[in-house]
Parts: sequence; C-alpha cells; structure tokens
Amino acid sequence: MKLSINGIEVVAQSGDTVLDAATRKGLSIQHLCTHKALKPFGACRMCLVEIDGMRGYPPSCTTPAAEGMVVRTNTEALRKLQRNILGLTMLEHPSACLVCGKRARCEEYRSKPEKAGRTTGCHTCNNMKHCSVRTMTEDVGLERLPVPPLYHERPLERSNPFIDRDLNLCILCGLCVRICKKHQGEGVIDFVQRGSHTHIGEAFGHTLKEAGCTFCGSCVDACPTGTLSDRFAKWYGNPDHVSATTCAFCGEGCAVLTDSVEGKLLALHSAESFPICVVGRFAAAELLNSAERFLVPKIRVGKNLREVTRDAAVAAVAEQLGNYRGSSFAFVCDTFSTLEDRRVFEQFTREVMQSPNFVQVTVDAKGAGQATLPEGVKAAVLTGALLSPEALRGLDYVVLIDFLPSAVLEVAHAVFPASVFAEVSGSFSDGSGTFRPLRRISDAPGQSLPDWQTVGLWAEAMGAPQLTFAASEEITAQLAIETQARVARNEAPAPSQDITKCPATFRGHALATFVPGLREFDPDAPKAVQVVASTSEDGPFRILSKEEIVPNTFKLVIHAPAVAKRAKAGQFCIAMADETSERVPYTLCDWDAEAGTITLVVLEKGQSSRKLILLPEGGRLAHVTGPLGIPFEVKNYGRVALAGGCYGVGAVGPVARALRAAGNHVTVAVEARSHYLTYLSKQLADASDEFIQTTIDGSTGFKGHAVDAIEANLKAGGHYDLVVAIGCPFMMMLVSELTKPLNIPTQVSLNPIMLDGTGMCGACRVTVGDSVKFACVDGPFFDAHLVDWEEVRDRRQAYSHEEVQSVGLSAPVTVIEKPVDQHHCVAH
Amino acid sequence: MLPPFPTEKKVKNGMCTAQKDWGMQDIEAAVARHPAHRGSLIPALQDLQETCGYLAPEALAVLAKHLSISVNEIYGVATFYTQFRFSKPARHKIQVCQGTACHVRGGHMVLEEFEQMLDVKAGEATKDGQVDLERVACLGCCALAPVITVDGLVHANMGTRKVPAILAPLGVKEESKAT
Repeated sequence: MKLSINGIEVVAQSGDTVLDAATRKGLSIQHLCTHKALKPFGACRMCLVEIDGMRGYPPSCTTPAAEGMVVRTNTEALRKLQRNILGLTMLEHPSACLVCGKRARCEEYRSKPEKAGRTTGCHTCNNMKHCSVRTMTEDVGLERLPVPPLYHERPLERSNPFIDRDLNLCILCGLCVRICKKHQGEGVIDFVQRGSHTHIGEAFGHTLKEAGCTFCGSCVDACPTGTLSDRFAKWYGNPDHVSATTCAFCGEGCAVLTDSVEGKLLALHSAESFPICVVGRFAAAELLNSAERFLVPKIRVGKNLREVTRDAAVAAVAEQLGNYRGSSFAFVCDTFSTLEDRRVFEQFTREVMQSPNFVQVTVDAKGAGQATLPEGVKAAVLTGALLSPEALRGLDYVVLIDFLPSAVLEVAHAVFPASVFAEVSGSFSDGSGTFRPLRRISDAPGQSLPDWQTVGLWAEAMGAPQLTFAASEEITAQLAIETQARVARNEAPAPSQDITKCPATFRGHALATFVPGLREFDPDAPKAVQVVASTSEDGPFRILSKEEIVPNTFKLVIHAPAVAKRAKAGQFCIAMADETSERVPYTLCDWDAEAGTITLVVLEKGQSSRKLILLPEGGRLAHVTGPLGIPFEVKNYGRVALAGGCYGVGAVGPVARALRAAGNHVTVAVEARSHYLTYLSKQLADASDEFIQTTIDGSTGFKGHAVDAIEANLKAGGHYDLVVAIGCPFMMMLVSELTKPLNIPTQVSLNPIMLDGTGMCGACRVTVGDSVKFACVDGPFFDAHLVDWEEVRDRRQAYSHEEVQSVGLSAPVTVIEKPVDQHHCVAH
Repeated sequence: MLPPFPTEKKVKNGMCTAQKDWGMQDIEAAVARHPAHRGSLIPALQDLQETCGYLAPEALAVLAKHLSISVNEIYGVATFYTQFRFSKPARHKIQVCQGTACHVRGGHMVLEEFEQMLDVKAGEATKDGQVDLERVACLGCCALAPVITVDGLVHANMGTRKVPAILAPLGVKEESKAT
C-alpha cells in the first residue's frame, strides 16, 4: 500500500504502523518508547503526527498505515506539541545542562563526561554521548522548561552487582519494564506507586537480585537515559567500535556484538532475539580488563618470579625444555584455547618435543575441568590453572602461558602473558561441534601475545621455524576448517538465564575471583567490599556529622583539632578516607578551633571521594593533614567580587568573611545548575554585602552562571578592585576570561591532583605565567590571568583511566563498619 | 513452606476491625477462590487484604504462582491503589478527614496534634503497633466538621483539645507526647 508522508510517497508493508513506514523510507519521527524488539506502546506521545481525515494528533507508533493516507510529521503545531510534551517529560530529569547557555564551550573544554555519584547534569552523566533524550531536546528546539524541574531526591541504588540505578534520571518511558517482561517472562521490575510518586521498582523495595533478576542487561541496554548503567563500563565513554563475534565462555556459542573503545572491550550484547547470560553481558569485559592481568614475561630466580624481556624468557624456556624432549614432557591445555592454538600446541608437543603427552582437558558446562599428568612427566607447559600446585610440585620445570594469577604461580618457572577471547582471532568449537569464528576486537595488555605466537617463538628458538606464522588465519588454513557465525536464533532454546548454570570457570580460573559482582550469586564466596569504615571509639579524625546538603555534595564535620587550631581563610587540608585511598585536597570551608572541628564540602567524583562520603557518622578517616597552602591575602582591596560554583561554594564563606572584616565591600555570586542544588545561601548572604544566587536553568535567582552575574553588575556600571573565583577549572577559566580584558585583578583557587601537599612530589605543578608553581605550597591562589588553563585540565585528567578503573568494579558499592586494629590509629 | 504468621489476640472491647488471625491455609483458600487468569488480580488482592488485614509478602507469593504474574508486577499494580496496604495494620485505626470543610474548620491542626501525640506521620503506624493514623479526603459528613473516625466510629466537631481523650482508651497517654 502507498501513503504520503510530508508529500513523499512511501510504500508500506502489511502490518506496518505509520512510524514503521516512515522509518523504512528513512524519514525520522521523534519517539522515545518505541523499541525494535517490543510491540508499540503509545506512551511517550513524541511521535504524534497529523493525518488527513483523522481527529487530533494520532501517535504514529500505534496507528496502522493505510492506503492513501496523507501524513504530516513536521508542522509547526506538531513541533509545539512535542516541545511541550518533552518539556513536561524532562521536568523530573536533571535538565539544566540541556538549557545552558554555555553548553557548547563546556562540552568543548570537557569532552568526556566526568564521574559522579548522583548525576545532576549532562556533563557528569555516563549516558551523555548516547542519550536519545538529549538529542531530542536539540531536534525539537527545547530551550527552556515550562516550570522549574522537580528533583525527587531518590537515593542512588548501587547495592546490586553490575548495575547502578539512579531513578532521579528516570523519565518513566517504561522500556526497561517492557523489555524485562519480554525477555524474562515474568517481569522483575514494574511501575510502583502512582502519580508523582511513580517509579521503577521491585516488590517490597527488594533489590534487583532479591527480586530474581538474572542480570541479562536488557534493561540497561534499553534505557534511553543514564538511569540504568553498567557499573564497570559506564565511565569509559561511547564505544567507537561495535563488532560481531562469538561468546567463547561456554559451549553455547552465542552470537554477540561487542562494544569497544580505544581497543578496550566494554561489553557484550546479544546479536540474537534472546538476551545472553550475565557472564557474557557483564563479566567477560571486566575479566579481560582486570587490573591483575599479566603484563610481561617472568622467569623464576630463586623464590621470586622476575620480570625479563620476552627474548630472555623465550631463550630460557627453549634451553630448559630442550632437556626434556620425549615422554618426560607434557603440554596441558583446555578446550577454551582456540583450535588454532591447540593445533600449534599439539605440533609443538609431537614435532619439537617429540612427546606423545598432549593433554586436552574437556571442560564441563560450567567451564571446569582438571587434567591428570601421564606417568614420568618432568616438565610441563600449562595454559591456565589446569593442575593444582601439588600435582606440579614434583616436576622439574613448569611453564605457564596465562592471563591471570593462580596457585600455579607458586611452582611456575616461567610465565608468559596470554591474549584471550576478544584479543585473539581464531576458531572456537561450540557444544554442538560447529566451528564459530572469534574476532580480534580489543588490545591485550602489556606484552601479551596469542598462545600460538608464544609457542611459535619457543619452537623457533629450539630450531623449529615451521611453527612460526604471520597470522592465525594461516593456521586456520592448515586446519582446513570452515567457521560459521551462529545464525541469530529467533526461536527457543534461548541461552540459559539461570545464573547457577552459567559458566563459572575460564582456563581454570574461577571467574568470581576477578569479577567481584559474580560473588553475589555464591552465598559462600567472600563478598567484595569497596569501603571498610573504621568505627573504633578512640583516635582522631572522627566524622561528627555528615549531610548530603544537595545531591552528590556532602558536608562533613570532622574532629581534627590540630588543623582547626591553625586554619586560616583559603587554606586546605588533605584527607584520606582509608589507608588505600588517594590523598585528596579539600578546602577548609569552616573550622572551630575551640571544638577542634573542621568542615569540608565533598563532591562525590571518584573512588576516594566516594569512600569518604560513604563513611558513616562516627566513622574515622585514616588521615587528615593541614592546614596547607598559603592563606588568602586578607587586606582592604576596596570592592571585591567572589564567584563560587559547585564544591567551591563551600570554600567562598571563610574568604568572604575575612575580606568583609578587613573593610572590603564584598559581592558573592554563587552558581548552581538548578534550584535543588543551591546550598549555604543564607550563610553566604550573611557573610557578604551583596549576595547573588544564580541557577543555570533560571529556576531560582539570576539565570546564568556566577560569571554572568558579575558581568551584569559590571555592565550596570559596577566596578571591582578584585575578583576571586573558586570552583571547577571551567568556571574559573570563564571568570578569568571576563576580567582579563578589563584588567581586574583576579585570583583563582587551583585544585590539581596532589600527593604530599608539602611541595615534594610535584604532582600539583601548574604553569603560571613563565614560572612553574606547586599549588600545594605556592597556592592554592594564583593570578587567574597567568594560569595555563589547558594544562590545568590535562593534568587533572592524567589518571582518568586508573580513576575509571577503580570506580568500575562490578561488586555492590557497600560499606562494612568494623573497629580497626589500634596500631593503625596512632595520630600522625 | 513459611511458618504461620504470628497472630495477635483481638482487643477485648471489640473495636478491632483489621487485626486477623490467619495462616497459610487461609491465604491458599482465598487465592483458590479466584480463577487462574490475570483478570482475577484485583478481586484476589482485595480478598487477601480482607483475609490478612494487609498484603503480606507470603500472600503475594502464593497469588503470583496461581496467576502466573510476578510478585514484582503484582506489587506494581497494588501500589497504584490506595486501598491496599503492605504493612501489618495496627490494633486501632484513626482516620482524620482533610476534606475541604474539615480543612476550613481546622482539620489539619487536628491531624498535626495526632501526629505529635503518636509520634508518627499520617500514613504510618505507631511503633508499638497500637494505632494507624490515616488522612482521608472526605468522610461524607461535612456538617460535622472537623471529623475523625476511630475504628469506624465517627467523632464529630473535633478539636485539638479532644485528641487526648480520643487516644486515652487506646492506651496512648498524654505523657508520651513527643517533646
């Protein structure tokens, strides 16, 4: 049948909706609640169209296409409707960044989303780069909100393995509920309560795991916002490659699509109509990215395995193995090795080592299998934890080709780092005996090599160059096999969604050892703990009070008498939540020398700040040192403007009070994204002669940034003798850009990465004019007009990879409170 | 098989309306009265609430199996309606009207007084399981405003000063008033 959409003739197939017909022709119609795997729902009302002869604005997703229909999708009336509908949809979503006037500059300066606990804007949202809601606001031209947004103050849910859920970002599109019902039959999640209290949840407030979730990840994949996210992958950014391969963690051989970014595997997704299991969806990527991966070859020297060059390791192994030719040698691998690897292993055993002992362990459905060594073996090669150390202890020489540590390391004489799964190409034999292709998608860490290549190097060093190949395809050709990708299954049997039947072992390693989220499913496994809070009665640095003053920003009052006694305006301290956390500088926002307390405003941004804000009231920090830095130079400047943003708002107070006491006229302008993010307004109003609260979305106070308020004052004829900015580098840079052409002296409080805070390590180096300064001892205040802002940004991002890795463990983010050993509690 | 839910004795003066003695067999009997299809959900929920006084997790588990609907979905449906409750009802129920007429005549102050004396918010039960405090939109007797009901019995022309006398027979004394 034929219909006309915007004057274009479109051919529709039987059963098509108007939306289907338009999509088929490449015409785009806005939609939120439509999903290719689900039946039309008609809930979001974004796909409304005009159809001649039909009353009102029917939704194109539920209206069947009919012969001769005349459809319009792009009229001004429709755009106005969409703007209103989307505006209302966005009311319960942190939307300030979408209507921000400085959005383009901000996204240019910080091209990647920054980590956060609860997300209150696009630039701290893991979903920023692939957010359909965000794109839609641009497409329909939503530039302001009809009424101020509503923030529900829902807690960030991270007590589940693998999945973070921040319902404050949810727009209730219902995709997760519907996909769950489709894929799991009986849904694990549903809409709970009604009206403005409606949210996605489980019965009786259970966690996903308690509600019977199989962690197939379908809901995470369907979520158009950042509400549901993959805890491991969320901060790595948008995948730059999506590739097809086979999941090789069990005999099922599911066809999968992989997400990868810069050669790093992020996640596996089902390429079929059924979801894959938790191991494929979540665990595989975390396993391959484990921080415990072997990086370099090692050779045993006495009691220790020592790092050596690959050439040295190959030469040593070749020399040693040369002594065990014949049946005193065995090669042990399991069926997780590719067919190409196994062919090279076998040829090496038979041709180079002249031994009959090529042992292939056939693994069971859960990936486990144990080898037994033939009698008389004195030297062996293992491709994983396939034998216990006891079984190997009697051997003279043990070589390990593996990717993660195991007990075999105790007895191994040489260790070679191995590339596995998505880091190699080759062929994989699934449970039915069909050969499936494995494609190389991600880069192996360090000096890891595919196993066939490692063994080829030994063979070459032992005078057998025939096992050297340029690529695995050459071996595939020798094997004379054809691989075929699994034809996407649209019919049952679907892969098992029973977590107890999922693979648990890979190359002899228990997956749960390296994927902490999997331990949640084993009642006996020790749980992964992200924070251990010391709550012993004695000792300093106790948290006297903790309050989340606005979403993701916490006010901590800490007992630290030595710091409080000497603190001056503008100084900071360095705090460590526990013994392994980073040493993070925090500005002293208030102090009480008599009570011996200091007040910090902490933004949850990474692992160390997360640990700090998870400490309970009464818990103790491992360490607080301070006061550090040069106090702000307090004198009578005349008229001073102080600009504060984000966590910097807390730091403005002491400087404002000191300057006012010195006779200055003090204007304080602080910014927040929205009305629900303003804090300390009363205290700052009391500490200043003029107080301006700005919000980026205009929901309260002046619409715009703090810098805009200062600019407005200047334009209105005001003048300042000094401007001070405290906030994120972007905010301080904007202030500097405003005042530089006007020659208004401007001070900024720089916040680079610090370690010792005493000028020794140099981590906090900043370039100010022609000189190199250390923010910890020369700062934190510097002349803003001389600061190299690009360098400040780049140096702050220097460890972003490690930071992302440390917050991205799949285990639930939980606190365990326990009294700690008093030896660690001595005051420093 | 879950152990039978601990039951409590009915109060002597017969004012109790909600507290019931029930066991798993009562739940199973209630569920079995409804045909095993999705359409039975709401009547079955009402039946279970009548049986147990509230929608107990163990009751929903039995119903979920019978209707082949997940507990999570049932919970989603049930929370939509104000008629269903998910916690054990207290011995006594006090409803404080907040309709227009009652509001004009100070019903909100009456509610505040109850909240303060019982140390709960409207919609909660006291910690000792003695009293449920509910706010309702209209009890249909606006001429008597402000009104409340205690275990179904209407008390007319209420005022904050009458609150202690209402609570005294329920075992709540003025000394326990939150300070």
